[in-house]
Amino acid sequence: MSKFIQDRRSLLKGGAATIAAAAATSADQLFNFAQAWAQTTQWKPEAGAKISLLRWKRFVEAEDQAFMAMIAAFTKATGVAVEVTNESYEDVQPKASVVANTGQGLDMVWGLYSLPHLLPTKCLDVTDVATYLGGKYGGWAPSADAYGKAGNKWIGIPVAATGGLVNYRISAMEKAGFKEFPKDTAGFLELCKALNKNGTPAGMALGHASGDANTWLHWALWTHGGNLVDENDKVVINSPETAKALEYVKALYDTFIPGTASWNDSSNNKAFVAGQLYCTVNGISVYVTASREAKAIAEDMNHAYMPIGPVGKPTELHLPFTMLTFNFTKFPQACKALTAFMLEADQFNPWVTGAQGYLSHFLGAYDNNPIWTSDPKRTPYRDVAKRTLTPAGKGKLGENAAAAIADFLVVDMFANYCTGREDVKGAIAFAERQAKRLYR
Amino acid sequence: MTDHAVHPPAVATVAKSDESDGMSYLETLPSRIVTLYIPLFIIVVILLFPFYWMALTSIKPDEQLIDMDSFNPFWVVKPTFKHISKLLFETSYPRWLWNTMYVAAAATFLSITASVLAAYAIVRLRFKGAQAVGALIFMAYLVPPSILFIPLASVIHAYGLFDSPMSLILVYPTLLIPFSTWLLMGYFKTIPFELEECALIDGASRWQILTKIILPLAVPGLISAFIFSFTLCWNEFIYALTFLSSTQNKTVPVAIVNEFVDGDIYKWGSLMAGALVGSLPLVILYAFFVEHYVSAMTGAVKE
Amino acid sequence: MTAIPAPIRSQKKFESSLPFWQRLTTNRNWIASWFMLPAAAFLILFLAYPLGLGVWMSFTNVRIGREGVFIGLENYEWLRDDSIFWLSVFNTLLYTLVASAIKFALGLYLALLLNRHMPFKAMIRAAVLIPFIVPTVLSAIAFWWIYDSQFSIISWSLRQMGLITQNINFLGDSNWARASVIIANIWRGVPFVAITLLAGLQTVSPSLYEAATLDGATNWQRFRFITYPLLTPIIAVVMTFSVLFTFTDFQLIWALTRGGPVNATHLMATLSYQRGILSGRLGEGAAIATAMIPFLVAAIMISWFGMQRRKWQQGENND
Repeated sequence: MSKFIQDRRSLLKGGAATIAAAAATSADQLFNFAQAWAQTTQWKPEAGAKISLLRWKRFVEAEDQAFMAMIAAFTKATGVAVEVTNESYEDVQPKASVVANTGQGLDMVWGLYSLPHLLPTKCLDVTDVATYLGGKYGGWAPSADAYGKAGNKWIGIPVAATGGLVNYRISAMEKAGFKEFPKDTAGFLELCKALNKNGTPAGMALGHASGDANTWLHWALWTHGGNLVDENDKVVINSPETAKALEYVKALYDTFIPGTASWNDSSNNKAFVAGQLYCTVNGISVYVTASREAKAIAEDMNHAYMPIGPVGKPTELHLPFTMLTFNFTKFPQACKALTAFMLEADQFNPWVTGAQGYLSHFLGAYDNNPIWTSDPKRTPYRDVAKRTLTPAGKGKLGENAAAAIADFLVVDMFANYCTGREDVKGAIAFAERQAKRLYR
Repeated sequence: MTDHAVHPPAVATVAKSDESDGMSYLETLPSRIVTLYIPLFIIVVILLFPFYWMALTSIKPDEQLIDMDSFNPFWVVKPTFKHISKLLFETSYPRWLWNTMYVAAAATFLSITASVLAAYAIVRLRFKGAQAVGALIFMAYLVPPSILFIPLASVIHAYGLFDSPMSLILVYPTLLIPFSTWLLMGYFKTIPFELEECALIDGASRWQILTKIILPLAVPGLISAFIFSFTLCWNEFIYALTFLSSTQNKTVPVAIVNEFVDGDIYKWGSLMAGALVGSLPLVILYAFFVEHYVSAMTGAVKE
Repeated sequence: MTAIPAPIRSQKKFESSLPFWQRLTTNRNWIASWFMLPAAAFLILFLAYPLGLGVWMSFTNVRIGREGVFIGLENYEWLRDDSIFWLSVFNTLLYTLVASAIKFALGLYLALLLNRHMPFKAMIRAAVLIPFIVPTVLSAIAFWWIYDSQFSIISWSLRQMGLITQNINFLGDSNWARASVIIANIWRGVPFVAITLLAGLQTVSPSLYEAATLDGATNWQRFRFITYPLLTPIIAVVMTFSVLFTFTDFQLIWALTRGGPVNATHLMATLSYQRGILSGRLGEGAAIATAMIPFLVAAIMISWFGMQRRKWQQGENND
């Protein structure tokens, strides 16, 4: 509980003034809603329930404040004490793994990608919650099914996703001779070449960056028709399409700012805000930071969908955040109530507003949130949950796919070729061998 | 440096007097400059540079941090204490500091107690298999935390210690006991056997001998074991990351990284301020005890 | 508690000898085992037992959140043909050998320097220890920034001096990356080696040097025939610790490169973490970690024999 006081304090001191103020005025409203909600909900929390929830460490401060306000309202209305702990998003999974293995310590985890699929046998069946929310709020995006379901059972609720889309400087693009951002891969390559020539280079992570590198390299593989596995989880990475994707990324890599092979998730943010990088693939955090610290850059930048390649349709990968409840929790009803409450419109909308475009919804009804249209630069991020595929590609999202992405299998394949350690054949053979081991 | 450039003859004396190393009173100043001060200066500067870098970053305003063209990165204009005050007053830093001290002190105390007993037994009781036991303790270092922490997590959970400082207090001794035992073994050996024999004849028990005779004489050894152990505890990361989860319970290194990395944004100023302020207690400790540390080690390694 | 019936039984058994309780408090072996108990308890409960568990896991296909079944040597067979694993072995050996050798050389040199008389001795010694004091993960983050591909202070300085035109790709190029992590490790490790060796140096009596100087020994001869032999035992110990710490290093690499670029800096410890924890294949991760043990045993053996030669700190035959 002392945790709470501390968070309240940091909430009061919060930096993003307008949003904090908005949250403060609506605190009572939120509580009133929560109370009414608690009366009618089908999930009646167990008496004296106490939940401990682990979430990824916020990307945007105001999002965290809105989240904690929501938790506070929930606690007040239902009497369920919720202890929230934060862990850097890369440490959530190890932590959750340890807890899953030992069967105590946490009740709920809000983690990245396919976390529930790494531990499917330890997840509580939340089909009822998913059905309720889907029915009430305009249905789940197709990717939500893949992220949340194992077989016919929902083992996690995809709360939101954060997009990995193109961030570019408008002036640099225009100087490179493009009026609008290219929509196909060929145009994109031309742009990067021109940017490089003008001394305003692009750059995307090829290092072990769980967010940035995975999202754009999977896009590159899929958009050329390459796939790690087919519908039956058979490894099919060794294909001419993969080779084409490798050549394409190599051509891009040659136009990049030096050093991208070492980049982690934060490298491109820093370089972009410093005005050294003119085009990259990232979440909205660059824009959020720039709006605060480098207004000139924020005004000169915009976002675009990933270009479309030979396959002729969008093949993007974004970062979903999925909420799971462990099946060894003593308070399953309280956990389900919290999950459902989180996604109710009266509280989800202010929360997403607080996230300033960082969190995109999986439920159709939330397209109308003004956050997506008040600033047109944020609009592309509205659709990421609808556009995203899963890390498994065509295959089944399960522990094998989760393992492949955690092991940077695709990232390393591209990096192997781009940095010249392996030729096309070698890089593919390497990835193929690893994949076959995982998918045996 | 300019010194011997200006006086070329001095260089010649360097070569000659170079041989008197070890008897410094025979050395001339220029020789000392070339063989001692210059190399020492270079090494110390290199060793301290990253530390300086942390200190600098922690007082640098954000805009100067990534703008290397208009601001000289080696210096700071208009330093700000924003990062440090944010660290001290807007986070639970005092609490983390307290946690770290508490865990480090308790784990160190336990380990040194265990090590004193073990070292005494191995060196002075000369029991059957003492050699083998000594070797086994040393072998404990074979086991890297990266292999241990998943199985260890099961053990911690089995005892219900998850998210409790006790988990670290009980686990850290595995990192500390081997080195402390080795150090104390060496130190105990420097204490004359005769003292002990007299006491034995006077009817003192082993326990009395240890507490009344050996320990008071081994204080420097204890200090150096203490410093070493305390430092390791202070810096440990993997176990602290795995076994503690609530913000209130975290130790300094883990909490700082957790608090000041927002997704893909690093808050450099506060991170480095945390590193700096987090190391200060140890720096003070060392400033007081480094001579003891060296002399105690000296005792320990004497044959 | 369970010990209560024991005295009765044994008293009967050994009626002629001392009463059991007395034997417990006077017999050397018994006292010794009491004294060993706390250390042994810690090491068995929190080290040996989880270690056994870890080794067992390496023979199963256990995944996170799921029980495994015994699969014999399958994990090891896979690793035998896995080039990333062998790359990590190579990296680990390279990292350990190069870093330890340089740490030793620099540490010894620094210790020799610090052993001489100078003003502000205590302060300088304390300052030298600073890299050892700063929490590793935080100094690693500082290093990460010093090595940044865009904002590196080193690249910046060299550019200002006109020595390079392009930033050095410190962590993006395999060889640069290896060198960079090794340097960071050396930075962190030198103080410990230096201070411990300094302690060793202080045990060497100055009269030996004086005598040697009178006999006309050169600087090098004095080092070679007096300092070095007297220092051998402490060198053996300090280098064993240094090698072990370097070999099992995890934090520094993880904070700096995550094993990248393209696995060029993956050590066995980081690979085992990536495979075992992040990608969930505990069995395989445990197998990689277990594969470290033979190397570590070898390292210990070498220094152990180094110590044996000097009859160094064994329980029995020394004082």
